[in-house]
Amino acid sequence: MKFGIFYEISVPRPWENDIEHEVYHRCLEQVRVADEIGFHSVWAVEHHFLEEYSHCSAPELFLTACAMQTKQIRVGHGIVVCVPQFNHPIRAAERAAVLDILSDGRLEFGTGRSATWTELGGMDANPDETKETWDEYTRTIPQMWTNERYGYEGRAFRMPTRAVLPKPYQKPHPPMWVAVSSPGTEIDAAERGMGSLGLTFGGFAEQEEKVDRYRSRIRDCEPAGLFVNERVATVNFLYCHPDNETGIKTGSRLTGSFGYLAAQLLPVREVHPTRSYPNPGLLAATRQQAAQNPGEGVSAPEGVCIGNPDRLVEEIKKWESCGVDQINFLLNALETIPQEEVLDSLRLFGEEVMPHFVDDQPATTSEPRELAATAAAGGD
Amino acid sequence: MPINGNADPAQLTRYAPTMASLDTEALTLPDVKVLQVIYEIDDSVMAELIPPALHPTIPPTMHVIGMRAEDGPLGPFTIAIVRVGCRAAVRPRGLPTRAVCTEGEAATALEERWGFPITVGEPVLRERYDRQSIEVNDGNVTVLSAQLIDPVPIGNGDLLYTAGMHIANVERDGEMKPWLVQVDPEFEVSRADRGSAQIDAFDSGFWDAPELRPVYPIVASYTTANITLPRIRYICDPLQPAISGTVAL
Repeated sequence: MKFGIFYEISVPRPWENDIEHEVYHRCLEQVRVADEIGFHSVWAVEHHFLEEYSHCSAPELFLTACAMQTKQIRVGHGIVVCVPQFNHPIRAAERAAVLDILSDGRLEFGTGRSATWTELGGMDANPDETKETWDEYTRTIPQMWTNERYGYEGRAFRMPTRAVLPKPYQKPHPPMWVAVSSPGTEIDAAERGMGSLGLTFGGFAEQEEKVDRYRSRIRDCEPAGLFVNERVATVNFLYCHPDNETGIKTGSRLTGSFGYLAAQLLPVREVHPTRSYPNPGLLAATRQQAAQNPGEGVSAPEGVCIGNPDRLVEEIKKWESCGVDQINFLLNALETIPQEEVLDSLRLFGEEVMPHFVDDQPATTSEPRELAATAAAGGD
Repeated sequence: MPINGNADPAQLTRYAPTMASLDTEALTLPDVKVLQVIYEIDDSVMAELIPPALHPTIPPTMHVIGMRAEDGPLGPFTIAIVRVGCRAAVRPRGLPTRAVCTEGEAATALEERWGFPITVGEPVLRERYDRQSIEVNDGNVTVLSAQLIDPVPIGNGDLLYTAGMHIANVERDGEMKPWLVQVDPEFEVSRADRGSAQIDAFDSGFWDAPELRPVYPIVASYTTANITLPRIRYICDPLQPAISGTVAL
């Protein structure tokens, strides 16, 4: 089991007194502490226009800052929006390669497509097209990374042959992931040999089914990249406190605030009927959890990592038994929890929870290199 | 935390009906034609369009809805409704500002049993092969003209209709005052089209939302559906956040 931290970068109103500056720097401080503790990775979303919920519109910059201030922790795009109006695929490939170089090969490359009209409408992108463009990006970006020169004539974009530079530091390229928020997307990830980057807060039974489907399908995958990244990550909240009741109460403020904010946005499906979005996605999935009053909940839903170390160990063991390889934790929303308490929670987790879990998978740049070597040798 | 509405409920009740009872039986209307045109609206006044119980969506939206029932328990009728998209705590909702319905049993029932802010008039829902439209005239003035253009079929399950929060005067604990009445119909869709949204005429004063201004089209849909108007299950104090001001009946 690996542990990561996951950032939406939620900024409460009023947006004055340098609050965005403060929040960003608090996040960076958390990342430095997480690196010292031994967390595997830090992930940052790409969101646009999502007031208060996420002010993380340039994750490549935030992640670069994370990389520059840390030594071991890997930096993850969670995710790059693979829609031309958001990111041209060439620019996505270039930026990722630079980040991989500057981080000494610590990049995890998550891909996805956005699920809100707030964002897609704001960028004048067609919700009907995003599955298709995402698929093209996942096929072409690894080619840009691994071929000296590359040309492409496709549906979402075309390019005459050019050298897309620089190339990533990790060889053949950074591990690739797919954001999984809608049921069935884990199959998309498996068929393309990509990691399943879970972004919803489902229970154990739901997760176990997803993992089973993923593991089963990935055996016969056709990798989008040059190697298979068979890993399942899920997202969770983290608030760890010596006193269980205090931990649950404070953690519930975090979960409630996060879900309440998410619910104010406009999922594509609510206003723009399309087969491309058969489910409301992450935002609706959080609503149920947020149905309790923010800050007033005192019970911890199944699997949510809030409470004392004993409770967290117990919950994480259950996730482990579901086949989850990694849990990425949200630490705060709306600055609901003061920074010192967030840091204390992280440190307590590092001291009393993490030692219960063996990190039995390689976490460094050697991982994809080894996998690539295995693939090249005809192994599996 | 998210922006709350700041409209005085008294300002939103000019067309609010009085509901003598909230004990309403569910009622199914068969094969109703439903046109829904969704627009983004001017965000500078988004909080002024809804009471403190509700949040504007991000971005703020309006729904123009035209419905025509040919037959059914309320007889034939046509209705046009203008709603502001919103949230009651974490739930997607629409707040009707005014509705215009053809005279008859339906107008009375919709007003008295489900709290629609009805004005009797002559809305016209037109179905053509290249477009569907809803039009409302006030005398010689067209106060609403909204269209779906270039319809293409979509899956019957692709659509979501959001529930309504209808402001109505309700007597409770001996006090008559405005409440938000949750009306969450079930839609059993048998045919659905989607197309471009276009609003050609909108008189915000007529629709009792002087500041409401459609600015950016999202999409329009046109469906045939069996609509079940529900029993009333929840009401909400318009002055309190819905998360704490909602009352289960």
